[in-house]
Amino acid sequence: MIGKLLSTDLLKMRRTGIWWVVLIGPVGLAAMQALNFGLRYDYLVRGRYAADPWSGLLNETAMFVPIAVYLAMTLLMAMIANIENKQNSWKQMLALPVRRSQVFASKFLCCLIQLLAACALLSVSTAAVGLALNFSGPIPYADLLTFGVYPMLASLPMLGFTLWLTLTFRNQAIPISLGIAASLMSVFGASMPEVVPLAWPALVVSGQRALTFMGLGVGLFAVLYLLGSAHFSRKDVA
Amino acid sequence: MTEMMIETRNLTKKYRGTRAVDALNLAIPRGEIYGFLGPNGAGKTTTIRMLLGLIKPDSGVVQIFGQDLRKDRLRILRRVGSLVEYPSYYGHLNAIENLETSRRILNVPKSRIDEVLHTVGLTKDAKRHVKGYSLGMKQRLGIASALLGSPELLILDEPTNGLDPSGILEIRELIKRMPQEQGITVLVSSHLLSEVEQMASSVGIVNQGRMIFQDTIPNLQRKAGSEIHIALSDAETAMITARELGCFPRLDQGKLVFKGIDNDQIARLVTALVDARHSIYRVEERRKSLEDLFLTMTGGGSSDAASADDTIASGAPRAAGLRREAAQ
Ligand SMILES: Nc1ncnc2c1ncn2[C@@H]1O[C@H](COP(=O)(O)OP(=O)(O)OP(=O)(O)O)[C@@H](O)[C@H]1O
Ligand SMILES: [Mg+2]
Repeated sequence: MIGKLLSTDLLKMRRTGIWWVVLIGPVGLAAMQALNFGLRYDYLVRGRYAADPWSGLLNETAMFVPIAVYLAMTLLMAMIANIENKQNSWKQMLALPVRRSQVFASKFLCCLIQLLAACALLSVSTAAVGLALNFSGPIPYADLLTFGVYPMLASLPMLGFTLWLTLTFRNQAIPISLGIAASLMSVFGASMPEVVPLAWPALVVSGQRALTFMGLGVGLFAVLYLLGSAHFSRKDVA
Repeated sequence: MTEMMIETRNLTKKYRGTRAVDALNLAIPRGEIYGFLGPNGAGKTTTIRMLLGLIKPDSGVVQIFGQDLRKDRLRILRRVGSLVEYPSYYGHLNAIENLETSRRILNVPKSRIDEVLHTVGLTKDAKRHVKGYSLGMKQRLGIASALLGSPELLILDEPTNGLDPSGILEIRELIKRMPQEQGITVLVSSHLLSEVEQMASSVGIVNQGRMIFQDTIPNLQRKAGSEIHIALSDAETAMITARELGCFPRLDQGKLVFKGIDNDQIARLVTALVDARHSIYRVEERRKSLEDLFLTMTGGGSSDAASADDTIASGAPRAAGLRREAAQ
């Protein structure tokens, strides 16, 4: 059942431009670093990061990952929810023989797939930047693979929250404003107390107890997801 | 006993303390076209949402196909096609893609899409983006997706909303064919009595959330009552002829007016009158307009139920069947 729902949801995304967001986000981030490293080649590659230009590139890019992930979650979920909210297709969709919890799950999976695709694209395009700039030293495959996904896992509570808001309320102004506020605040994540979930992605980026904060992110997400799903399954559909 | 496709018991839904639907008991037997009638805000859409499990009743039970909706929602919904209020659609997709989104869930063959598009007359526009459709075309698409899963029960909320006269006629004919051709039971809501009367076999009238009348259309029409008016050359002497046959008309502007008279009696009366050398100008049936009855029942108008003869008052006079010029 969830497979059928997922294939329907993917079909509904045709011509919505969602996949362009998935493409442009990470590629844009990598392009920004290509400019950064290309224009300041002598200072960055031959100077500051001469010992390990790959780590230099990854660290410079990673700083922007939390804000990018928060923005992506907000934008993608708003677009996914908009497909149903726009003409209030919920009443038609939920009058089909589907479990509401699975409808909710399918929307989440769509967003997760897109986030993972964006992370993969970020890995590939960042690697391309390093190769194009002729970085010395071995390619840090493991770091390239994880430097997007790890902070993303720590950011998941935001997705749990916005998933519920966007799918439950027709008015998308609130989730979008909250999402933008959260992404701006995440810039100062590293200086926030550890108990604030907004700090977690930045803490993962800085490498302190990364595993702990990823675990916390996934854990808090699970709680928010279950609450959101339970409410979505019971609420009246207008 | 006839099998009930939809049965509700004391179905109630409150919004901020007021009962949008109040202890509603629906009973819809298999094969019926059930007209669900009521003025704006009567609670039709709210009821239909509860039938589809979109909103939860505050109290009461919904049974569809004899199964409890709370327990067997998925199995029930697989056999139900629905259209709630204005049509839902994905504007950035074309009609085929729109139907495909439901088809994947309903698990029916791809050929069904062409079939239902043909049924509602959208084949020509199937590849256009739906956001460019007219309201009537969107409504048709909504009906097409209601039909997609070959449902046994069709629940349509104001399906002719926004359609032009020919579109209304088309959809009405389509709905009328459903029980005969495919054995589908239909619940169709409307706030227009004339519309329901033309397609439904039975009717439930709701007002302020309460069911105020539920019966077959013929019984509703009987309740409206009818009179036979005979216009002829000499009403005074004709009265005597009529009385001899055991009919007791009243005299109204040179016409004889009979209440509660059956076909046989009319036939004998006309023969007798012709034999008595009366010139009969017309024999017509005049009904207390159903609209009047509806308004009286729903308290929606100050329309006087006694003004039964005033056929003009609520639109077209309903002289049916017997209108015939007696040539002599
Ligand atoms: N989500 C809601 N919140 C508050 N009140 C509601 C809600 N939905 C319906 N109502 C109220 O319930 C009553 C019944 O509304 P409903 O839409 O069922 O009427 P209806 O018979 O379908 O009318 P119409 O012919 O205009 O479509 C109305 O008074 C309406 O204001
Ligand atoms: Mg309505």
